[in-house]
Amino acid sequence: MPKDPDWEAYKVPPTRTPVSERITSVPNPATIFQTVFNYVVDAPVTFVREWIERQQAKNKFYYYHQKFRRVPDLSECLEGDYLCFFEAEAQWRRDRMVDQQIVEIMRERLGACKQREGPNAFQNCAKEMEQLVQVTKAYQDRYGDLGVHGNARTCLMKQKHRMMEERKAQANASQ
Amino acid sequence: MAAMSLLLRAAAAWGARRAVSGAAGAARLPWLTGAARLPGTVAPVRHSSSHGKRMFIIKATSFYDTRFLNLLRFYVFLTGIPVALFITYVNIFIGEAELAEIPEGYVPEYWEYYKHPISRWIARYLLDSPEKTYEKQMALLDVEAKKTELRLMELEARRLMRHRGDGPWYHYETPDKNLVDNSMKSTPDN
Repeated sequence: MPKDPDWEAYKVPPTRTPVSERITSVPNPATIFQTVFNYVVDAPVTFVREWIERQQAKNKFYYYHQKFRRVPDLSECLEGDYLCFFEAEAQWRRDRMVDQQIVEIMRERLGACKQREGPNAFQNCAKEMEQLVQVTKAYQDRYGDLGVHGNARTCLMKQKHRMMEERKAQANASQ
Repeated sequence: MAAMSLLLRAAAAWGARRAVSGAAGAARLPWLTGAARLPGTVAPVRHSSSHGKRMFIIKATSFYDTRFLNLLRFYVFLTGIPVALFITYVNIFIGEAELAEIPEGYVPEYWEYYKHPISRWIARYLLDSPEKTYEKQMALLDVEAKKTELRLMELEARRLMRHRGDGPWYHYETPDKNLVDNSMKSTPDN
């Protein structure tokens, strides 16, 4: 499944470690390890990887994400029109997969925010938390409790019941 | 291993010493002779320094196990190594596809939606396009839908013809009018 395209949500705020002056003549072992790693591991691996990429760049080819046309919904199908039912069902399943991935992306964003903030998570991740709550509530309203045999028809019936409840609540509220 | 051979060598030397003293002391203490041995074989055995005493180690056979594992390795690698080499060649020299936006006015072929070159090849040459399978499924559904419709109409026609009796079905053979004997109804006093 595709990665989250919005990188702004994952930006780490800049660090504020101060630059320190050198006061000893003992060389920093960290830089020694870094140079050793660079020569022993990093350079050969980068060389091999770039050679491989040069070989692959000779004949490039691309892949695309398929865009599906919208077909009439289940509510716009005539009774007994099984072909319309089939196409609407396929479209509903695709839309459900998209919605599942949307919920997954929101969860990942919250997880990344928690990882970034560490102990300040409760305070600084409130926006992501609120977004996740809204998205999961919407998903639960639309697709929740349909069960493993849920299809476009059961989802439409659930939507119908939701609308009836809303209308009843409005009628009760206006009284 | 060296310690084992030293131990065995020391045991053999001790046994040889026991045998020599036993031959002399058998007259004195008959029960002190060593283990049963062929008469006259008292000389100590000389062991070469590299292996020590050769032992016949008794254990369960591993012939069948090793044969099975050898055969398994052979047959797995017989096709496994060429397949692994082929896949390595494809991954290094052909490489995976890059994700791109669909250009304006271009309709990609159905195999261009896959990333790995082998998946693309399989989708292109071995499998049917998803549009074709979709249309085949819809054709099957259409045929079945028409069949159900016709069956329902036939049931309805049958019911109506049976009920109304004015259709071509539900005609039953009745005997000829002229064969009926009306003599018992011919007079009113029967």
